[in-house]
Amino acid sequence: MNNYTNDNTAKRYKAHVSILGITQIHLRNPYIIAWWSAAFPGFGHMLLSKYLRGYVLFIWEVVVNIKAHVNHAMIYSFQGNIDMAKEVLDTRWLLMYIPVYLFTIWDSYRTTVDLNKIYLLADAEDHRFNTFSLGAVEINYLDKRNPVIAVIWSLFMPGLGQLYVNRIMTAFFVIFWVVVFFYYSHAQEAVSFLFLGKVHQATTVLNPEWLLFLPSHYGFAAFDAYTSAIESNKLYKEVQTKFLKNKYQSASFRLLKGQKVK
Amino acid sequence: MIDLQFFSTFESNAFLEIAISQLESKGIKKENIFAVPLDNRTEGRKILDSTHHSDGTSLSDIGMALATAFAVIGASVGFILTWGPIYWGLIGAFIGFVLGLTIRLYIEKVVKKKKRVLKGKHSEVILIIDCEETQAELVEGILWNHFALGVAKVK
Repeated sequence: MNNYTNDNTAKRYKAHVSILGITQIHLRNPYIIAWWSAAFPGFGHMLLSKYLRGYVLFIWEVVVNIKAHVNHAMIYSFQGNIDMAKEVLDTRWLLMYIPVYLFTIWDSYRTTVDLNKIYLLADAEDHRFNTFSLGAVEINYLDKRNPVIAVIWSLFMPGLGQLYVNRIMTAFFVIFWVVVFFYYSHAQEAVSFLFLGKVHQATTVLNPEWLLFLPSHYGFAAFDAYTSAIESNKLYKEVQTKFLKNKYQSASFRLLKGQKVK
Repeated sequence: MIDLQFFSTFESNAFLEIAISQLESKGIKKENIFAVPLDNRTEGRKILDSTHHSDGTSLSDIGMALATAFAVIGASVGFILTWGPIYWGLIGAFIGFVLGLTIRLYIEKVVKKKKRVLKGKHSEVILIIDCEETQAELVEGILWNHFALGVAKVK
């Protein structure tokens, strides 16, 4: 059940609250979106709520990166060991990495610029949209969320912040992949060793290639949850403002010019 | 006949709507409730300025980006350092975030010097209620109980 049935009378809409999340067009910095695409292909598009292509590019990145050993080569390069970097790269997979990687960055940049224009027009058009959704499997509605809490949950476990701000499409995907990365990188075993003070064992237990996927996962999850909370808060305020203006501004209302009393 | 009016300010949240529905259920008519949503100090509508950011003071964007980049480099180099990749990855993330935050703060405080939305709670809606003397206590109670930031009675 929704509180608004779309009759497609607007040229553009700026948001849609559905069972699966709050899809929202708002102003974004195209460089920041492009940066997330560069950090991990797919993240830029997921920030824009373009989930399907985000998923495809993300999975593509994991498979081709691991097969071509791009992360391994990065590690050697950062260590200054260029010979080993050259050695480790698998040329059977490497060349296809480059065009898709660059496309992802460019496409998310381009899409952000387009969506910013669409936002300005949709905002000016100011058409009503659905803000409440009650269904058999989920409930979703616009509400105020604390962006700091969203970040804290994301840092405990990427994806939880997205559940808090009701972005299920990102939440499930991120939680699934963070488990995969934890498992193959042995990161949690390393953390256990660190708690015991066994730094050397912690280092040797890790799988470097898979470990390198984790930092961007944490960064993205925190940033996405933070931004989503702030943007849906802004949307909430807009919707409430419209509601109050429509219902509680009677023309017959007169101000009492008395004095303030206790 | 209006006896008195209550002026109150609220944050924009669900409690405000609950307060209004409570007042209506206690017999205050719609015409006797007047709400003025305030425009809080916001950014302009320019494509190439601050409106790109996620909010008026998006302090985290550069920080998160640099934290990720530095964590990757820190973890990579950490494999050949004594403390190992996890400590160095975390150190990298921290340094990156602080650096990004510093850059952003510098831009905001020094370069832009733009007035921002005040931190903390601020009034977002003015709510005025007409009521009779007998309802005064009830109305005032409802307003305070739903987290009005300030309430004044005018007679």
